[in-house]
Amino acid sequence: METKTLVEINNLTHLFRLTKSVAIKALSDVSFSINQGEILGIVGESGSGKSTLARCLMNIHKPYKGEIFYKGINICDKKQFAANKKMLQKNRQIIFQDSNSSLNQRMSIREILAEPLEIQKLFKTAAEREEHMRYHMSFVGLEPRFLDLYPPEISGGQRQRVSIARALEMRPELLVADEPVASLDVSIQAQIINLFKHLQEEHHFTLLFIAHDLAMVEFLCDRVGVMYHGHLVELAETKELFNNPVHAYTKALLSAIPVPDPRIERGRKILEFEGVDMTVRHDFNDIGNGHFVLQDEGVTV
Amino acid sequence: MSNLLEVKNLSISFCTPYGEVEAVRDVSFELQEGEILAVVGESGCGKSVLCKAIMKLLPKNAKLKEGTIKTAGIDITAYKENEMCRLRGKLFSMVFQDPMTSLNPTIPIGNQIAEAVLVHNPKISKADLNRRVIELMELVGIQDADNRRKLYPYNFSGGMRQRSVMAMALASSPKILFADEPTTSLDVTIQAQILDLLIDVQRKLNTATVFVTHDLGVVARVADRVAVMYAGKIVEIGTAEEIFYDPRHPYTWGLLRALPAYSKGSDRLYTIPGTPPSLIDPPTGDAFASRNEYALEIDYKEAPPMFKVSETHYAATWLLSEKAPKIASPMIGGKHGN
Ligand SMILES: Nc1ncnc2c1ncn2[C@@H]1O[C@H](COP(=O)(O)OP(=O)(O)OP(=O)(O)O)[C@@H](O)[C@H]1O
Ligand SMILES: Nc1ncnc2c1ncn2[C@@H]1O[C@H](COP(=O)(O)OP(=O)(O)OP(=O)(O)O)[C@@H](O)[C@H]1O
Ligand SMILES: [Mg+2]
Ligand SMILES: [Mg+2]
Repeated sequence: METKTLVEINNLTHLFRLTKSVAIKALSDVSFSINQGEILGIVGESGSGKSTLARCLMNIHKPYKGEIFYKGINICDKKQFAANKKMLQKNRQIIFQDSNSSLNQRMSIREILAEPLEIQKLFKTAAEREEHMRYHMSFVGLEPRFLDLYPPEISGGQRQRVSIARALEMRPELLVADEPVASLDVSIQAQIINLFKHLQEEHHFTLLFIAHDLAMVEFLCDRVGVMYHGHLVELAETKELFNNPVHAYTKALLSAIPVPDPRIERGRKILEFEGVDMTVRHDFNDIGNGHFVLQDEGVTV
Repeated sequence: MSNLLEVKNLSISFCTPYGEVEAVRDVSFELQEGEILAVVGESGCGKSVLCKAIMKLLPKNAKLKEGTIKTAGIDITAYKENEMCRLRGKLFSMVFQDPMTSLNPTIPIGNQIAEAVLVHNPKISKADLNRRVIELMELVGIQDADNRRKLYPYNFSGGMRQRSVMAMALASSPKILFADEPTTSLDVTIQAQILDLLIDVQRKLNTATVFVTHDLGVVARVADRVAVMYAGKIVEIGTAEEIFYDPRHPYTWGLLRALPAYSKGSDRLYTIPGTPPSLIDPPTGDAFASRNEYALEIDYKEAPPMFKVSETHYAATWLLSEKAPKIASPMIGGKHGN
């Protein structure tokens, strides 16, 4: 099968201005693309810019510099975005990391799920819509009775699953999922990961999967990108990345994967990572077979 | 070693328009000084409600139906809000599941941590307070703390918020700590660092911790003992070794089998079939029966008692009764992936 690019990100840089003179650089010159139908994992340090990247992709933040193309449309360009707004808002969905605070506490689960369907006018009758919602609730392991409840009446993981259902019911082409399963028990996690795989195989759906659970990333993703201090420091096919990590941060990260075995886990030492000087110029080099590593300029392979 | 926390036959229900939600059903456990008890279990089984019930932080429609709660030998079951206020932040503190609910969005993070320090130590000087705030932020791995303490919660990443909440909980040097999924948005290096910090605090202050998590790798690293919950009940409890290497409850088997490590090389992950029962009118027998491939006839009629496996290990499954057929755990003894 020929690979088509769904999203292309070029030299994306994002600053958060705190005061006139102080700004936080959350993303530095990040470039990569997402292929249609692939599951791309993004892992990395806490605070390295993963959620900021997700928000830029969804037009929630306007990037300070750089471009993002979705099917060739430059979504950072006001005119192009406006001309394609409806399509972009239906076809791209996001599950927020802090999804609980993205749910309106005063709306019932039914109202929360119905809202985006109504805005996009996806169904002619209320009965059809209701059936569609129930179907997606069952996907995430929630019975129809939950539709009548309000967010404060359900558990953290149940709320998280409502957010997943709300994103999936739109049948997105691209789902950006920021830590979608970390707050769920392992069996429900497995159910949702299996569902993502099914959607990829049957519906050619594309997923950007941001997660800290590296075992899950290894199981689910086709390719994985590693972020550190606002930079994409490494990107490769999953097997290649796990077997042959090159960047020092990736190595440290992989050494810290917890093992569900007390005797091994308690004795395990984690590689110290001294940090890399990110102020010198770096290049994102292809070291073969689409394995990219951010390296000091002057490093030759 | 003495029991710092003793919970006996605790049952908590919510009164709702749809009926009574039995969120915690007949839960008993003890916690000793310096001990970490991990609580794992399905989503919605009552873990957060259990922690909040002990700290009396539940909404008004929640009722303590039965049971007693003792801290350091003193029965606090009937304590009123003003008495609880004195205990919270001193005797025990809690890291909530959703960090945004415990952070005030309009106050800089540093001030919020300072407030937590003041509860414990109201006479501290201004300079010492500032120093302590920065020290706590650095302790939980927030770099550039001196500048970052002036920022607001929405300026922080998910993991930085979570670490701030952890710093607030540790500020008061609590005797009992409830940590409800405190590391879900941390990368594994920082997570390991925070867990080691927690173990360290544990040793120094002899804190007793209830650690709610879904991450069995985290459990393996920190837990002395593990309680497995299902549909409002503790269905198995034991030392970490007993739960990982000799699990007895079919639900515990299911959890361990759902880990990606068990499905290496396969296309799909194992999932426990079916869905958990409603906690409104839960089934009379074993609540796990309809999902249990090893269910016996009696499972549908009568709830199993806690069977003793060892002095420290108990499980509520009829499979442990003398009359039950012997079923070997589907887990390969002690082999956990790789
Ligand atoms: N609204 C904002 N204003 C100011 N700074 C921000 C804002 N949002 C994020 N930041 C900063 O940008 C950096 C990247 O944050 P981001 O949330 O993208 O990290 P992350 O990789 O998602 O981390 P985590 O794994 O902890 O969720 C952090 O230093 C954070 O403090
Ligand atoms: N205020 C409330 N009113 C009615 N029911 C509630 C309320 N709060 C919680 N519940 C119910 O009580 C049960 C236990 O909830 P709890 O939050 O303790 O689950 P949990 O084990 O922490 O789950 P998770 O892992 O998803 O956080 C859930 O089924 C939930 O729907
Ligand atoms: Mg984030
Ligand atoms: Mg909870």
